[in-house]
Amino acid sequence: MTLPGGFVDELVAAVGASHVVTEPEALATYECDGLTGWRALPACVVLPGSAEEVQAVVRLCARDRVPFVARGAGTGLSGGALPVAEGIVVSVARMKRILEIDLESERVVVEPGVANLDVTRAVATDGYFYAPDPSSQQVCTIGGNVAENSGGAHCLKHGFTVNHVTGAKVVLPDGELLELGGKAIDGDEGPDLLGVVIGSEGTLGIAVEVTLRIVRQPELVVTQLAAFRSIEHAGEAVSAIVASGILPSAMEIMDTLTIQAAEEAYRPGYPEGAGSVLLVELDGVAAQVDEDADAVDRLCRAAGAFEIRIARDAAERAVLWLGRKGAFAAMGRISPDYYVQDGVVPRTQLPAVLRRIDELSAAHGLRVGNVFHAGDGNLHPLVLYDAKVKGDYERAKALADEILTACVEAGGSLTGEHGIGVDKACAMPSMFSERDLEAFERVRRAFDPDGIANPGKVLPTPRLCGEVPGPYRPHPLERLGLAERF
Amino acid sequence: MRPRTIEEAAALLAGASAAGRRIRIGEDLVTDALDRVLEHEAGDLTCTVEAGIRLSALRGRLAAAGQRLSLDPPGDPTIGACVARRLSGPLSHRFGPPRDLVLGVTLVLGDGTVASSGGKVVKNVAGYDLGKLVCGSEGRLALIARVALRLHPLPAASTTVVVETDDPAGIVGELRRSSLQPSALDVLHPGRVALLFEGREEAVAAQVEAACALVDGAAADGAVWDEARERQARALGRLAFAPGELASVLASLDEAVVRPAAGVAYVATPVEAGSSPAALGLHRALKERLDPAAVLV
Repeated sequence: MTLPGGFVDELVAAVGASHVVTEPEALATYECDGLTGWRALPACVVLPGSAEEVQAVVRLCARDRVPFVARGAGTGLSGGALPVAEGIVVSVARMKRILEIDLESERVVVEPGVANLDVTRAVATDGYFYAPDPSSQQVCTIGGNVAENSGGAHCLKHGFTVNHVTGAKVVLPDGELLELGGKAIDGDEGPDLLGVVIGSEGTLGIAVEVTLRIVRQPELVVTQLAAFRSIEHAGEAVSAIVASGILPSAMEIMDTLTIQAAEEAYRPGYPEGAGSVLLVELDGVAAQVDEDADAVDRLCRAAGAFEIRIARDAAERAVLWLGRKGAFAAMGRISPDYYVQDGVVPRTQLPAVLRRIDELSAAHGLRVGNVFHAGDGNLHPLVLYDAKVKGDYERAKALADEILTACVEAGGSLTGEHGIGVDKACAMPSMFSERDLEAFERVRRAFDPDGIANPGKVLPTPRLCGEVPGPYRPHPLERLGLAERF
Repeated sequence: MRPRTIEEAAALLAGASAAGRRIRIGEDLVTDALDRVLEHEAGDLTCTVEAGIRLSALRGRLAAAGQRLSLDPPGDPTIGACVARRLSGPLSHRFGPPRDLVLGVTLVLGDGTVASSGGKVVKNVAGYDLGKLVCGSEGRLALIARVALRLHPLPAASTTVVVETDDPAGIVGELRRSSLQPSALDVLHPGRVALLFEGREEAVAAQVEAACALVDGAAADGAVWDEARERQARALGRLAFAPGELASVLASLDEAVVRPAAGVAYVATPVEAGSSPAALGLHRALKERLDPAAVLV
């Protein structure tokens, strides 16, 4: 479908000719995000340079009911930035100024196109960092982080994007500018609009300015890498650490397959014979970290760790993290393609769900690598397949879907940090009842009555999922009569 | 009205909606019979409760398992009230306001629709976070019926430090630039700064010693926190400010209880709520969608 007559001219008038993309070859750059299996060519891409220009663009969309999709760096893994064929993409790539660094308030005010890691870079010499650290932090934008409520390896202790954004200016789907919060935490009166906008995947508006909380660098960081013969033992160690009252900043597990891939790609030299490695990072005041590190060492050995390595400075730490940080990329060494999900389970359900993944893997005849945020139960099963083999992708997708079902049935969630996007919209009825989804729809309509902000994402639609949405499956708690829907 | 189950609450609201009646939650409809702990999975550091449970009752249940909800507002409100009115206390310095502790909610909308959002896991980005939306909603968007919460281990040791000072902003600045990590940091204006250190015994002792040396404080009993909560409860206004403006905010106030890192002061005079026209428009739109018959007032 084409845009209304004269629409592109009006976009040009709003943002300038050099910031409006209409040539098909150039548009192809925007046809997908990190979920490359889904592609759509937008009618047009605009790159506004200011909040006012975003407002002008969105006002035009609202007037003519043209769908728009906001886009940061396009690193999202759920198709949240997948274009709508009959709509436009609003890229915030040019809006990358750090507007204010207020150390006295411990806040940084940025435009949405600023890269996540650039916030930390801007305040590191003053002894601060920005805590949310998604693995794409070198390039992913704060605007995208706000849309997805991004986490990262260290959100176990430090929290998610929503815990670190104190204010935002948001262009609503009618083009109005909504100012939320400020430098105070939870400063607004009335319902927490900021809290619902963050993580709304671009369906409630476009953040054009964001106020971030920065955190004092800890006095001491200690990282331990414990090698176990099996993943069950690593899981026991995680349970024991949590039960002891220690709150590490990160707890990551890699299984045999991901260790093998990491060794081939980076040679991190993990202990010989390790069936699983557990990374535990502690940060905070030195006295506390030292005590906790001793306890972690003890608990890991009690759970069967046969070797423990410890890093006490940044260089040593980088060595221990090498295999974990590159785990996804390393999969290329052992498989042509992989499909990743990020279901969440209650920590106590980890052993049972990992066993279930093994069964599913065997049943489908596809290998599954497990590398995950063990502390918060956030799995990242990597389903290995070969796109050149007919039917392999479909089998991988089916296996991944069954893993998600297992997560939801264990009392967990479809996604811990990657978002629903287009990828899992049709799976939403497996986690939420019709009434839940209807309530979400009501919230969406309150912000966006015409449904032009990132349509087709988050909530299932007949067009996307077929006329009959997936069956509603009762939650285990619900079956037990303990809870209705969560 | 005193529903004992969520189904009863839903029927009451649906009935009121059909009959055009108005309901104020906490007055016309009380939740004190919705007060069960539905689940407490200690190994997951999470629990799910009905929203009418009072903090003291929940505190007792969790303490038996060596855990707590890190929320300590004045008085003994229900969990639902903590969320709807955004009630928090000194521990919010480290653990945040209620929004940071709520993992999921079950709501009864004004027309009786029962809807849930979030879940019981600590990490979850599926769907809209209605648990955050109802924080501060004052019972006017929906009845908060059930809440899943993030818990923390009870600390092995805790010690309070009080600093007598005529320059609290200077003291707060010193602490901010240090690597100390208190669980609570209140300015009891005028004249005092109170700190709470929690954790393992030796680590707490080390922090207390470092804090006393840095800002000339002295270890004290916990009574100062009761005083801070009492003064917070008596306050008529809640003032939000940029934390860096602490000195000038204090200079403009005769007395206040201040949470400096959050930029929140509980003050003796009412503070005008300054919602913008765009925010007010959204409040209205949400009200129309979630409570179409305007039952909840």
